Amino acid sequence: METIIECHEVGFSYGPRRILGGINLSFGKGSMHGILGANGAGKSTLLKLMTGALKPEAGEVLYREKPLRSIGRREIARRIAYIPQDPVFAFPFSVTEVILMGRAPYIGRFEFERESDLEMAREAMKTVGISHLEKRLISEISSGERQLASIARALVQEPEVMILDEPATFLDIRHRSEIMNILRKLRDERGILIIAATHDIFGALFYFDDIVMLKEGRIFAEGGVEEVVTGENLSALYGTEVAVKKEDGKLFVYPGE
Amino acid sequence: MPAKKKFIAAVSILIVLWIVTAFASVFSGIYDAGIVETVTGGDSLASTIFYKIRVPRVLMATLAGGTFAICGAALQALFRNPLASPFTLGISGGASLGAIIAMRTGLAAGFLGFSVVTIFAFVFSLLTMLFVYSVSRVGGIVATGRLLLAGVVMNFLYSAFILFVQFFSNFTESLQTMRWIMGSLDIVGYGEVWKTFLFVLPGGLLLLSMTKEMNLFGLGDDVASSLGVDVKKMERQIYFATSLSAGAVISVTGPIGFVGLIIPHILRMILGVDNRIVLPCSFLLGASFLTLADTVSRTLISPVEIPVGIITASIGGLFFLWLLIRTKKEVIV
Repeated sequence: METIIECHEVGFSYGPRRILGGINLSFGKGSMHGILGANGAGKSTLLKLMTGALKPEAGEVLYREKPLRSIGRREIARRIAYIPQDPVFAFPFSVTEVILMGRAPYIGRFEFERESDLEMAREAMKTVGISHLEKRLISEISSGERQLASIARALVQEPEVMILDEPATFLDIRHRSEIMNILRKLRDERGILIIAATHDIFGALFYFDDIVMLKEGRIFAEGGVEEVVTGENLSALYGTEVAVKKEDGKLFVYPGE
Repeated sequence: MPAKKKFIAAVSILIVLWIVTAFASVFSGIYDAGIVETVTGGDSLASTIFYKIRVPRVLMATLAGGTFAICGAALQALFRNPLASPFTLGISGGASLGAIIAMRTGLAAGFLGFSVVTIFAFVFSLLTMLFVYSVSRVGGIVATGRLLLAGVVMNFLYSAFILFVQFFSNFTESLQTMRWIMGSLDIVGYGEVWKTFLFVLPGGLLLLSMTKEMNLFGLGDDVASSLGVDVKKMERQIYFATSLSAGAVISVTGPIGFVGLIIPHILRMILGVDNRIVLPCSFLLGASFLTLADTVSRTLISPVEIPVGIITASIGGLFFLWLLIRTKKEVIV
């Protein structure tokens, strides 16, 4: 499998507080990875290091074998898209306007978007199933729809990698599975590498290929879902008793012994 | 309508509006001769008034109104808050105090060709902005309450300092300062216009070159940065450009309130929130608005001239009230 993103001995701290240390990871094309860990384990920081928003203090993040820090911002924006947990929309842009902003890395300083950009935005809205919201304001749609709009915005960046910070945490189960299914489709049909931090262990079992477990800024466990997501690992990761059972070939997680 | 078409249509209409307003303004006033006599110099008094007073005055109104409005729009993008403006953030107050200190300490003489008054106004507005920004921004989000409170507090503090300086001034100086604080476009000749233009041009162009980044910035620091925006650099450039141009204007006209708040607001209601359209249109509409307000201030109870700041503050205050009442049901955090 073609390696897209690699972390080599990556470390990071905010002031004197060490957030991450000794991180070694490698992510390949067309796969879907979940990052699990308790609050404050360093998940968001790791994601921001992989989007280039933060620069590692130790080690190196590589994009196709090139250090991310040596690649220009606009160039990165055409390769790696980022979707935050709770996106900010400070002004009531229309849904189309928001999605078109994903074309920014392709449009010059004093240029407006072309017809082809608009076409691409419409296509992205269709892919995530929000074509009917085209003319609505981003401020008047639901948070689930807003998250779908964020994914459409990321799609028009034509990225090779999509990095998501708890994309579905605040959503109901319908929107949650809708979003996870869309991500799965993007992985399969476009070969996009998807890396998502998540608190949703139940969803993680169904949707991800591989799991990375972070504990106190270090990699605690890493590998295929079945091999890593065990009662023992989860209990240690979150500091509370968690059990995992397999029934009819499906994994189930529940609190307690 | 696609953004580009909307941009062209709005800018064209606003340019026409400005031409009409400017034309109406230069030909209205107490001394009235025919248009031809005035322009060609057939009536020499009318001609002198026209070229030495009315034309520079309209140009100053254009620069000042345009600058306040475009700075308001840029600050609203920077603070991610529609209530930011040079006036509400206390930047005008800071620039005023800076300018008054320079005037009263006799530093006004000039330094390397730049007026020290302007430089003081610039430095004080920059410091005020940095302070208000750092105080009101909590965890990457600007809380409206903190923002407005910080602005109000800064304005109070600056008023206190200005009154202090006033207290130790003689009667003439004191009256002069008072008139200046009320905000007035009462200038003669083109000196002030040029001086202001030299500051406003680079500041304004810098802001206009960043409108796309301002849009992306509205999606939050992290998303903006992932879309290629150098967020820190953009913030610095907005601080610099707005302090420079607003400071330069205030050092000449005094603080003319509310233009920077109302104009972008009106434009967003009509044209949407795309900064690529809102910023350039703000300059044009701000220019027309202040030109019109100034014409009203000169002709309302002619021959007495009301300081234009009183006109804009009255309109602005009423507008603000209306906004508060209208948004009563929405939660302003």
